[in-house]
Amino acid sequence: MSDWQLRPARDLGQAPNARLKSLARERGLGSVLLREAWRGLVGTYLTLAHRPVIEGRENLPAKPPYVLIANHSSHMDTLLLGHVLQGAAAREAHALAAGEVFFGSDKAAIFAAYAINALPVWRKQTKGSDLALMRARLAEDGLVYILFPEGTRARDGVMAPFKPGIGTLVAGTGIPVVPCALEGCHAAWPADATWPRPGRLRVRIGAPLRFDEVANQPRGWVTVAQRCEDAVRALMP
Amino acid sequence: MSTVFAQPVTGWIVGATLGVLAAASLIILALARSGRIGPALTKELWQRTGVWAVLLPIMLGVVLVAPATLIAFTTIVGILCLREFDRATGLFRERLMVAIVVCGILAVNYAALINWYGFFVALWPLTVSLLAVASLPLDRPAGYIQRVGLAVFGFMLFGSGLAHLGFMANDPAYRPIVLLLMLTVAFNDVAAFTCGKLIGGPKLLPATSPNKTISGAVGAMLVTTTLVALVGKAIFAGGPMDHWGKLIVLGLLVSVAGQCGDLMLSSIKRDLGIKDMGAVLPGHGGVLDRANSLLLVAPAAFHFLYYFGGIDFPPFR
Repeated sequence: MSDWQLRPARDLGQAPNARLKSLARERGLGSVLLREAWRGLVGTYLTLAHRPVIEGRENLPAKPPYVLIANHSSHMDTLLLGHVLQGAAAREAHALAAGEVFFGSDKAAIFAAYAINALPVWRKQTKGSDLALMRARLAEDGLVYILFPEGTRARDGVMAPFKPGIGTLVAGTGIPVVPCALEGCHAAWPADATWPRPGRLRVRIGAPLRFDEVANQPRGWVTVAQRCEDAVRALMP
Repeated sequence: MSTVFAQPVTGWIVGATLGVLAAASLIILALARSGRIGPALTKELWQRTGVWAVLLPIMLGVVLVAPATLIAFTTIVGILCLREFDRATGLFRERLMVAIVVCGILAVNYAALINWYGFFVALWPLTVSLLAVASLPLDRPAGYIQRVGLAVFGFMLFGSGLAHLGFMANDPAYRPIVLLLMLTVAFNDVAAFTCGKLIGGPKLLPATSPNKTISGAVGAMLVTTTLVALVGKAIFAGGPMDHWGKLIVLGLLVSVAGQCGDLMLSSIKRDLGIKDMGAVLPGHGGVLDRANSLLLVAPAAFHFLYYFGGIDFPPFR
C-alpha cells in the first residue's frame, strides 16, 4: 500500500490567462480530449501526406518519464515526434516551445496549450526556479518532454550545436533521454514557408541515454548536451 | 409569457429580487457617500453586489424561460463544480473516474429532462457501481478507496444531488417553487453574514470556518424560515403544503441544509489548505464557493415537497 495524497493541481487558483502560460499547468479531462482530437487530425494528415517511416520504436522506454530530443529544422518536427508516441506517453507528452513564438498572444497561447500541449521557455528569461519546476515535474508527474536542444529551427536544415539547457533537466537523474534523427522535415516545411508540402518523413529512434552519474552543475550540463548531440548525429545518414 | 407568470407569485418573487438588488446598491452608495464604511469594504461590497447583479438575472432567466434551460443550468453548474472539486482534490489526475462522473452528471440531468424518475433514482447506485469497477482493469489498487470515494462524493453532490433542482421542472407549476429555493438559499447566506456581523458573539465551528458565528447561524435560520414560510404560503395556497407546520419545516430545511453545504465546503477547503476553489467570481471565489449551499438543499427540499405533495409530476409513460 502506498500513501494517496490529496494533491491540488499545481496551477490551482491561477487566472485562466496566466494558467495557459504557466509551467505549472496541469491538464484535466477536457484538455486531454482536445489534445487527442488535434493529435488525431495531425496523425491522419501525416499518414496521408508524408507517409512517415519510424525506425527504432523499441528504443522508447516502456513508460514515462523520459525526454525525447531531436535535430530541429521545421515546425513539422514537433508534430512528427508527437505522432511517434503512443498511449500514456502520448498523453503525458509536453513540447518545450519558445515562449515568444508560441505564447506571444492569447490566441497563440490557447492553441499552444490545448492543441500542442506546449510549455513555454522564454529566451534568456528562464529563471532558476522555472528550471527547477520543469525538472521536478518531469520526475514527479511522470511526463515526457519533447525538446530540441539546438534552441531554434536551423534555417538551412543543418543541425547546430546543442545548448546545455537539456542538462539542467536530466543531469544527476536516472531519467532516460531518447535521441531521434528527423529526415525530410526541412524539405517539407522550411522555416520560410507558410504551409507544408507533401514529402516522405523519416524518424530514427536511438537507444536511450542516462545521466545519473553526471553532476547537476554547469560543467555536467555541457557534458550532457555534448553526449546528446553525438547520439543524434550518429543516427543521421 | 402568460404561462411563465401563470401564478402571480412568480412575478412578485422576480420583482422583489430585482428590488432587493437595487436597494442593496443604494444602501452601499449611501454608506460610502456618508463615509461610514472605508474604501476597502466599499470596494468589496461593490464587487460582491456586481457579481450578484450578473448571477441573479441568470438564475431568474433559467428558471423562467423553460424546463430545459433550468436543466441545462444544473448540468453546466454541476460540471463546473466538479472541475473545481477535482482540481482541488487531485481527482482530476484520475481521468477515467472524472469521465464517468461527467457521464453520470449528463445522464442524471437527461433523466430529469425526459421526466424518467425511475432512471433518475437508479442512476445513483448504477453510477456508483460503475465507479467502483471502472478502475479495476488498471490493476492499480494503491489509492483505490480514495479515487472511488472522491468520485462518488463528486457525483453525489454535483450530479445526483444538484439534478433534483432540475427534476422539479417536470412539475407544471415549478417556477415559483424553484425560484423560492434558489433565492432563499442565496438569501440565507447573506442573512448569516449580516446577522453574524451585526450581533457577533461566539464562533460556530472556529476550526472549520473562523468567520462564522452562532448568532449568524441562528439569525439566518429565523429570518430564512420566516421568509420561506410566508412566500410558501402564497405559492402552495389551497394545496397539500398549505400548512404552517410543514412550511416552517421546509424553511428550516432550506436554512440548515444551506448552512451545512457551506460548512461542508469549508471543511474540504481547510483539509486541502486552500482559501477558494477558483477565481472566476470576483469576491466570491469559484463557482463551487457560490453553489455550495444549494447542493444539499436540492435533494432535501425535493423529497420533502414530493412526500407532502408540494410538487408532483405527470407519469413517465
